[in-house]
Amino acid sequence: MPLISVPRPSDGAFEPNRPVSALLKAQIEYLHVAERRLPLRYHTDIYINAIKTEGEAAEYIRAVTEAIHDAHADAAARRSRPAKRTGVIEIAAVADERAERRRASKTKSKKRSAQRRSRPSGGKPGAKK
Amino acid sequence: MPPGLDNLKHIVVLMMENRSFDHMLGSLKAVNPLVDGITAADPYGNPDTTGNVVKPQPLAQFQAQLQPDPDHHFPAVDLQIFGGDTSANRVANMQGFVKSYFNQQQDVGHSQKIMYYFAQNQLPVLTTLALEFAVFNRWFASIPGPTICNRAFAHYGTSFGRVDMNLLYVNEPFQSIYSRLINATPKHTSKLYYYDTTSSTMEVTNLLQNEPQLFGTYDQFLDDCSKGNLPDYSFIEPNYSDHEGDSGEEVANDQHPDHNVQAGELFIASIYKAVKDSPLWPNTALLVVYDEHGGIYDHVVPPACPPDQFTASPNDTGTGMSFAFDRLGVRVPAILISPWIPAGTVVNRVFDHASIPATITKFFLGDYSPRSPRETSADVFIEPDAGQVDPARNLLSLDTMRTDCPDFDV
Repeated sequence: MPLISVPRPSDGAFEPNRPVSALLKAQIEYLHVAERRLPLRYHTDIYINAIKTEGEAAEYIRAVTEAIHDAHADAAARRSRPAKRTGVIEIAAVADERAERRRASKTKSKKRSAQRRSRPSGGKPGAKK
Repeated sequence: MPPGLDNLKHIVVLMMENRSFDHMLGSLKAVNPLVDGITAADPYGNPDTTGNVVKPQPLAQFQAQLQPDPDHHFPAVDLQIFGGDTSANRVANMQGFVKSYFNQQQDVGHSQKIMYYFAQNQLPVLTTLALEFAVFNRWFASIPGPTICNRAFAHYGTSFGRVDMNLLYVNEPFQSIYSRLINATPKHTSKLYYYDTTSSTMEVTNLLQNEPQLFGTYDQFLDDCSKGNLPDYSFIEPNYSDHEGDSGEEVANDQHPDHNVQAGELFIASIYKAVKDSPLWPNTALLVVYDEHGGIYDHVVPPACPPDQFTASPNDTGTGMSFAFDRLGVRVPAILISPWIPAGTVVNRVFDHASIPATITKFFLGDYSPRSPRETSADVFIEPDAGQVDPARNLLSLDTMRTDCPDFDV
């Protein structure tokens, strides 16, 4: 079968200033709902009621679509990080320190009790006999 | 198992926008009488508001003819199908297309353009594919209404009770076809390819928001084709807007009025070529289908169908009548492409977009539940890969792969 020629659109076909269709308006509204559910740092600063042309619609559609992908990618990246091991170690270290302090404190208090028990009654610690 | 089905591993669906069967493929009746299109000798027509009968004519233009965008919301389509009869015993007659278009501009001459269709030589891509592979005489939109609810049927097998463009909230338990596939055991792969992030998808509310990893771009589709990396099921969306892209001016190629129809022809040809030049060509079937008729004339009365489990209220339909999803929308172009399909195949069984998840599910997953009543009752266009195959239903019927498939200069 011979190669079939496919005519190209005329030069005037590109018209980004064409008013948005009902379909694009609907797409913008869906994306606006999706945008509002994103964390604030992913929000665009585009006012959707001012979008009148396909070119303007396209800018907004791109911004929110990328924001949705970015938000999910960032969340996935956070999940795949090595589970904040540094933090865990720090917490563990703190816990260890506390335990050590508690152990040390208990040892000291045992020593103090022992000293108190061995101290003659009526006398003050360090008091000269 | 027939070799065409035995080899089939990948199904690709390309869904275009807003053109009726007669408008795009009606001219083919003159070439192949089995195609249920239109010729000058046919009695079809629509009355205009002066009482004159307007015949379909091959005068469609690529752009700047259907302005404003013909109304295709539920009340307008109701008028188009029933001709304005709102009585209890009304009968669908496809007599209200000119009336409906007249309502938008009150211009009698302009309203007649809704009856125009393309001559075969204006659409070399779509008409060649229709003649060279399998064209469906009875593929209807799922709802006599607009884009979003019709596309929902392709993704979920239902529109969850919506007949309009309002936000579609997805109700359990009907999962999207993509979720069914990727969550199956064993797992299957699936992807939606939108044209680029600037055009994005119409499936925002559920899939893009919650599962953006399901999406790829047209460039990624081309790459996946050339590397033999296509997922089991791919759904492709066209470019919905004229915009500046990373590589310059991008002309909308969805064919939604008043976007350029030739840009859509190029896009369809590029998708076909990517699949045909792929190492996966022997293993792939490509369905090209339109989401709804866009308010443009078609002569075939949409049939009744089993109701869905939802009912749209009179307020939702805007007609004063409720709708039980028990009638299909207007007929749209649909073509199934595979090197295992004989040239000149014409299919007369009834399909709608619920047939898409029905086919994909049955082919890859077998029995699956739950699915919507509409999807459960929808016919499949590819026979399941199991058990006995009825030769009368199998479209991928050739014993050996074709080597004479068409090529386009894209």
